[in-house]
Amino acid sequence: MNDLRQRLAQCFLLVFPDLEASLVYSASSSSVAAWDSMAAIILANVIEEEFRVKLDYDVLPELVSFDLILDYLNTEHLKTNHGTS
Amino acid sequence: MQITEALKIIRQYLSVDLPLSQVRLVTGFNPLHLQTFLQAYLQQRLSTRRVVVSTDVFGDMTGALARIHPSLLDMGAIALEWQDLDPRLGFRQLGGWGYKELADIVTDARAMLGTIRESLADLPEGFHLALSLPTLDLPPIFYTPSWQLCEAEISLRQAVDEFAFWASGRPDIRLVGPHRRQIDAISSQVFDLRADLTAGLPYAIDHADKLAQSFARLLVPSLPKKGLITDLDETLWAGIAGEVGPSAVSWDLDSKTQLHGLYQQLLRALSDQGVLIAVASKNDPELVEAVFQRNDIVLPRDLIFPVEAHWNAKSESVTRILETWNVHADSVVFVDDSPSELAEVKAAHPEMECLRFDGQDHANVYSLLFQLRDMFAKQTITHEDTLRRESLRSGSIFREAVRSPIVSQENFLRDAEAKIAFDFTAIKNPRTLELVNKANQFNLNGNRYSEAEWRDSFSGSSAFVVNAIYRDKYGPLGVIAMLAGQVSQTEMTVKTWVMSCRAFGRRIEYQCLKTILDRFSVREITFEFSPTTRNGYMREYLTSFLGKQPDGPFSISRAAFLDKCPTLYHEVEVSHE
Repeated sequence: MNDLRQRLAQCFLLVFPDLEASLVYSASSSSVAAWDSMAAIILANVIEEEFRVKLDYDVLPELVSFDLILDYLNTEHLKTNHGTS
Repeated sequence: MQITEALKIIRQYLSVDLPLSQVRLVTGFNPLHLQTFLQAYLQQRLSTRRVVVSTDVFGDMTGALARIHPSLLDMGAIALEWQDLDPRLGFRQLGGWGYKELADIVTDARAMLGTIRESLADLPEGFHLALSLPTLDLPPIFYTPSWQLCEAEISLRQAVDEFAFWASGRPDIRLVGPHRRQIDAISSQVFDLRADLTAGLPYAIDHADKLAQSFARLLVPSLPKKGLITDLDETLWAGIAGEVGPSAVSWDLDSKTQLHGLYQQLLRALSDQGVLIAVASKNDPELVEAVFQRNDIVLPRDLIFPVEAHWNAKSESVTRILETWNVHADSVVFVDDSPSELAEVKAAHPEMECLRFDGQDHANVYSLLFQLRDMFAKQTITHEDTLRRESLRSGSIFREAVRSPIVSQENFLRDAEAKIAFDFTAIKNPRTLELVNKANQFNLNGNRYSEAEWRDSFSGSSAFVVNAIYRDKYGPLGVIAMLAGQVSQTEMTVKTWVMSCRAFGRRIEYQCLKTILDRFSVREITFEFSPTTRNGYMREYLTSFLGKQPDGPFSISRAAFLDKCPTLYHEVEVSHE
């Protein structure tokens, strides 16, 4: 679980280079100015590459915070053991 | 490349203080991933600069083209798709498909291509563009089945082809080729309908990656390799000449050895474009010459220089060939059928590209032919390219004469009937910049320039660019040296000075300095010298003036130069505007 959080945090830091590391776990589209629709797509692609999963584009608009994405990964994908890279 | 890797490459350069390379990417669709990949690939190829790829609003191709400001940009890339020619050729608008629309769509597409062509024609000379033609499949607008080519589709493709033909004739536009390994439009990895509809991203990530790589290769081409050293038995021909005899080795269809003939054919084509071809073979030299005497040889003997055929180690042969050519190992490719020979040469010359020719493996040879073609690919073939082999032969005559204890160097140089033409309008000659970006050993500081940087640096009224065109009784060498710098009434600074290794030993470097001193009547020249790992020949030459090795910029007075300058025998001609 901690490993998953850290890997997801690395994805965030790659897509949002101006984001302070201490704020990653509380990041959301309302707190990160650079988190627009294009950044959301890039973030989704980076997460797909990191966790070797395919995200559902219809769900993307709802994944607006670090915690929500973490929950989504846990419930929708990693439970099927696809998430080890 | 994956997006993660591309972002990491981009991030590495975000906070680095380097000069910027501004690139404009023009698309009619959302360029998101294409932009990311293009920036990453260009950044890899331009490691001394920070690349910034900007985009315009998408959905407005002509507007975006009109808003290209070359004065603020270094280069551009345009990814044209069918939907840019008429929105009905995409999936994001519902303007109508079917036979009733076809004539109108073709007319609109032709008109749009005409508008794009006008926009491109208005761009100033010297602004480099990479252009890709539609890579995606056409939507199902036709009434014929998709496996049938109909008149309307032919008309659309003809319009694009005519546009492409025009663009290919523009010196500053380079077109992405539909290379089978680069762009596979049939692949399901090309188009992403879902991403197109939800975010305006028609390109699948894999396709955006490959197209961006093609753009980067066109905008910042790799330096082509200069020479190829080939083995003979089981490589240039099938069979071992020493075992079956010169008449029984083969390279033809009837003998089922056509792969070797194709290899010879490619080497001949490379030689014709100026690539140096040499042989390194463990062989009996007389048998080798006998094979080359055959009438059916595809790669004639006179296109090869030198031939190293003996029983010593191949790495020794390769070393001698490099000395004869006077080129560095990283500019040369070695081809052999034997893995152990390849390993032996690679161990002695780690920077050399060593490739295997496996005459039993059709896929290997097929791939090798394309690989070699790409390694030696050039944008243009210059006059100097066609002179290279012969000038190397004459260069070796010079070197042998200089080394010979029985031939007087002074007599040899005096009797060479050398003529040098200095051209002070050289900034317009593409060979000048090519020489600057290729020369290593006689290079003042190793500085390389893009075309835009070259223009910006040396087109002012106080700048000068001069090149030297040499010939003697052994043949012409073409443009073999150039100098560029700034000059005022009293001072001159040489910022760039290079000479081809083919011209060494002829005192051309002395004549270069004498000529610019005479032309500008200054008392002193400042050289912006900087040591590199490769410019030892230049350092040695400059040491002869200073009495010590230079380690940075320095000046030489006219008197000091004339004091050290040996007798020059060249007949000199100077031209300027």
